[in-house]
Amino acid sequence: MNAESMELEVQLIERTVDKRNALLARAEEQAKKILKAAEQECERIRSESERQILTLAGSELRAARDRIIGRAELEGRKLLMLARDELLSSVFSAVKAKLKEMVEGGIEAVDYGEILLKLTVEAITEMGGEEFIVAANERDLKYLKKNLKKIKDRVKTVLGDVNLRLDDNPIDALGGVIVRNSEGTKIYYNTLEGRLRTVRSRIEAEVAKTLGVI
Amino acid sequence: MGVERVLSIGERLHKLLEEAEREAERKIAEAQKKANEMIAKAKAEAEDRQIRARRGAGIDDLIRAEEEKAKKEAAKIMEDYRRKAEELRKVPDDRFKESVDLVLREVLPK
Repeated sequence: MNAESMELEVQLIERTVDKRNALLARAEEQAKKILKAAEQECERIRSESERQILTLAGSELRAARDRIIGRAELEGRKLLMLARDELLSSVFSAVKAKLKEMVEGGIEAVDYGEILLKLTVEAITEMGGEEFIVAANERDLKYLKKNLKKIKDRVKTVLGDVNLRLDDNPIDALGGVIVRNSEGTKIYYNTLEGRLRTVRSRIEAEVAKTLGVI
Repeated sequence: MGVERVLSIGERLHKLLEEAEREAERKIAEAQKKANEMIAKAKAEAEDRQIRARRGAGIDDLIRAEEEKAKKEAAKIMEDYRRKAEELRKVPDDRFKESVDLVLREVLPK
């Protein structure tokens, strides 16, 4: 065998082996593609099935979700409401503390005596009539006793002459008065606590707005 | 002698290629078979789940999963409300004082 034919033989073998390897590599590649496509198809089947099951179970799933989310929303809103209430209560507590300071003469710029007179006159004129009994706490009674004439004079401009008496039994109040007619058929509560309660129910929303919590 | 040898090698190489072709076909057929089995299994499982779901079975897991998801969402909602409540409590002093003055004006007689 000469060198030339040997060379030819080697070339033939090499070409054939290359061809074989390429053939197997292509097959390998194609097999991989087939398996990958199958995996994708399986995933699509599973997703589609999941979607169909979700549709079937949709109402039950929604109900389960709504129950939990709904409860959280409710609890959350309650939490906000409590925070708002606490804040509002702290405002009204601060007002009550200020009123206490005021009636005890702790605020120089405020003349509580004048406020008490106004509260009394307001109660009497609002009630209307000729005879009135005024009840107040011990401290306020003393002041009213000293200023009874002043009250009568002020009432006179609205109701004319009235008969005014002070109830000797002191009431338990921060300040202000409770006025009743002689028959006891009409009573006007004009204590500071009473007014504070009325104001709270009337302007709570406005206070919340001022605080910036609504 | 030389020609005979070349023919013999050619024959063997041809055989090699034929075997490779068969091997390639076998590989592809095997992959195709495996793919068909995978798809058939996925279809059967999906079918089975749907049948069970139609009967109401197998939904428990879905509901549990949905509940878990909703619980996480609910925790976020609560956290959000807690944050808002904390923010509410941080009222500036001037606003608080303004509110106290407003109430006081209303409580005291004019």
